[in-house]
Amino acid sequence: MKRPLNIVYGVEDVPPLGVTLFSGVQHVVLIAIRLLFPLLVAREAGLAPERILDVLGVSMLIMGLGPVLQAMTRGPVGSGYLCPTSFTSAYIAPSLLAAKTGGMALVVGMTLFGGVLEAALSRALRPLRPFFPPEIAGFVVVVVGVTLGSLGTRYVLGVGTPTGLNRHDLTVTAVSLGTMIILNVWTKGSLRVFCALIGMVVGYVAAALAGILTVADLSPVKAAPLLHFPRLGHGGWSFDLGLAIPFGVAALAACLRAMGDITTCQKINDAEWTRPRIRSISGGVLANGLATATAGICGTIGVNTLTSSVGLAGATGVTSRRIAYVIGGMFVVLAFLPKAAALVAIMPRPVLGATLWFSACFVFVNGLQIVTSRMLDVRRTFVIGLGFTIGLAVDLHPSLYSTLPGAVQPFASSSLVLGTISALVLNALFRLGVRRTQTLLIDPARRDTSAIGDFMELQGAAWGARRDVIDRATFNLSQSIETIVDSCEPEGSIEVEASFDEFNLNLRVSYAGPPLELPDKRPSNEDIMASEAGQRRLAGFMLRRYADRVQSRYRAGRSTILFHFDH
Amino acid sequence: MDLREDTSGDVTILEIKGRIDSTTAPVLGERLTASLTTPQRRLVLDLRQLEYISSAGFRVLLLAARRAEEAGARFVLCSVTGKVRHLFDLGGFLDLFLISGSREEAITAVH
Repeated sequence: MKRPLNIVYGVEDVPPLGVTLFSGVQHVVLIAIRLLFPLLVAREAGLAPERILDVLGVSMLIMGLGPVLQAMTRGPVGSGYLCPTSFTSAYIAPSLLAAKTGGMALVVGMTLFGGVLEAALSRALRPLRPFFPPEIAGFVVVVVGVTLGSLGTRYVLGVGTPTGLNRHDLTVTAVSLGTMIILNVWTKGSLRVFCALIGMVVGYVAAALAGILTVADLSPVKAAPLLHFPRLGHGGWSFDLGLAIPFGVAALAACLRAMGDITTCQKINDAEWTRPRIRSISGGVLANGLATATAGICGTIGVNTLTSSVGLAGATGVTSRRIAYVIGGMFVVLAFLPKAAALVAIMPRPVLGATLWFSACFVFVNGLQIVTSRMLDVRRTFVIGLGFTIGLAVDLHPSLYSTLPGAVQPFASSSLVLGTISALVLNALFRLGVRRTQTLLIDPARRDTSAIGDFMELQGAAWGARRDVIDRATFNLSQSIETIVDSCEPEGSIEVEASFDEFNLNLRVSYAGPPLELPDKRPSNEDIMASEAGQRRLAGFMLRRYADRVQSRYRAGRSTILFHFDH
Repeated sequence: MDLREDTSGDVTILEIKGRIDSTTAPVLGERLTASLTTPQRRLVLDLRQLEYISSAGFRVLLLAARRAEEAGARFVLCSVTGKVRHLFDLGGFLDLFLISGSREEAITAVH
C-alpha cells in the first residue's frame, strides 16, 4: 500500500490531537444531519415527544457505533477504514411504510431483519463476486454521488419550499461552498484539513446575517433539555412478511453501497490500488449489517456507510482510523446532550446544500474511477449505461413510478435501489454466453501480431478484467509467440488458450517443438548483446518475471507453457 | 513500426511509433547504427508512441548504447511511460539508459 500525495494522515497514521478532534467534529456534523431520518420515522409512527427524544438519543449511539465497527481490524467484523455510517435513504422509504402500518415496533422489527440479512450477505460476497463486480460497486458510488449532488441542488434552490429560489439562499451557498473550495484548493495544512467545517461555520454566520437563520429557528435548541438519558426500551418488535421485500431490497442496496464506499476507502488510501480487497469489504458489510441489526434491537432505523463522509475524508486528506473512534466517543457524549443535536438539525438549507455539493464531487469522481478500473465491452457498457438511465428516471419522472402496483413500488423507491437492481439483473443476464475459456490458433508463418493484441483486448473487455493484468498477459503472449517462432521452429499452429475467473487469468501456449528456456536469473548485458541466444534468455527471464506463476512442460515432442496471473 | 526523424539544432530526434519486435528490430538497429557512427553526434529516441518492445528491441538498444559510447556520440531516450516503462523496469533497463521525461528535457540532457 502506497500513500497518495494528497493524503496528509493515512489510515494507519496517528494525527495530532487537535487534528483528530477537529476532523471528528467535521464528520460528526456531516453524519448528524441524517438525524432527520429517524426523526421523520418516529413522527410518522406517532411517538410522543419524550419517546422521540429517546429515539434520537439511541440514533446517536448507533451513529457512534457504526464507525467504530467499521474501523476494526481484528476478527471478521470491520473494513479497517475510516468509513463512518449514518441513517440512509435506502431504509427510509420502507421504514416510513412500516411506521404507517405497524408503528415503531414494526419499524424496528423489520430493521433487525434487514441488518441480519445484510450480515448474512457479507459472508457470501466471495462466491457472489461475479454478480457484484467492481464496476457495479463503482456504479453505485456514482449514483450516490449524483443523488447527493441532486439533493444538494434541491436544498440550494429551495425546491418544495414556500420561499423557493431566492438570492439570499444562493449567496449563503456561494459563501459556504466558496470557502470550502478555496481552502481545499489553495491552502495547505489545517485550513485544508478543516475546510468543510470552516465552510459550514461561515455558512451559519452568513445565514444569520442574511436573515435565513433567525432567533425563532433556534427555538428547538432552546427547548431541548440540557441533559437527557436515552432509554433503550421500546414497544417490542413485530414482523410483516409483506415488508420483507422492501427491507430485503434496502439491505441489498446498503450492502452494495457499503461495497462501493469501502472500495473507495481502499482506493483513496493507496496510490497503487488495483482491485477491491474482498476481506476488508466483507468485514465492512458485516459491520454495516451488525450496526443496522443493533439499531433495530435498540429502537431506531437502519444505517449505511456514509458516502459523503468518505468523500470528506478523501477531500481533506485525513483518513486515519483513529478518527472513527473519536467520532464514536463524540456521539456517545452527544447522545446525552440533545441541544447539540438540535443545533445540527437546524442547519440552514443552503449550508446543507453547499456541504452536499462539496462531498458529491469527490464521491462522483471516485465512483467513475472505480467503474473504469475494469475493461468494459458492449455488454458491460449496457449494464452501466442502462442501469444509470433506468435508475435516474426515478428522480427525473417520479410520477411515472408512483403509478406502479404496490408490490413493485419498493423496487423503485429511489434511483439508487432501482438503478442497482437494474444493473445487477443486466449483469447476470449479460453473463450468459460469455465463455470463460477461449482459444486462438496462430499460424507461425503469418506472424500476425495484431491478432494476439485483438484477442486479449476482446476477451479482457468481455470478462471485465483489469487493464494492467491484460497488458501483462498480452506482453507474455506476444513475447512467447515471437520467441517460439524465431527459435523453436514449431510444426503446425501454435495453440493459445486463455481462461478467466474473477481471481485468475491463465494462458496456455502449446506447440510442437522444443521448450523455451525460462531462466530465473537475468542474462548479463554482454550475453544479451553477444548473440541471439542471450536475447532469447532475456525473453525467457522477462516472461517468467511478468507472470505471477509460470510452468513449462515438454512431452512427446510438444511443449506447453502455462502463465498464471493473479486477478 | 514507423520511424520519424526531426532535428533540433545539432540534435537528431528519432520518434518510434508502434512495435519493436524481432521483425522490426533489425530496421531500427540499422538506423541507429547509421546515426551513431559520427563522433559528437547527439541522438534522442522518443518512445512516446511506442506500444510494445520485446527482447529483440532491448538488444538493439543495448547495442546502440555501446556503439554510441565507442563513437563518442550521445544517446538519450525520452517519454518512456505506461506499459513500455513497466517493460523497461521488468528487464532491468531503467538504470542502463539515460532516460528523460520529455523531448525537451532529452534535448537538454544530450548536450
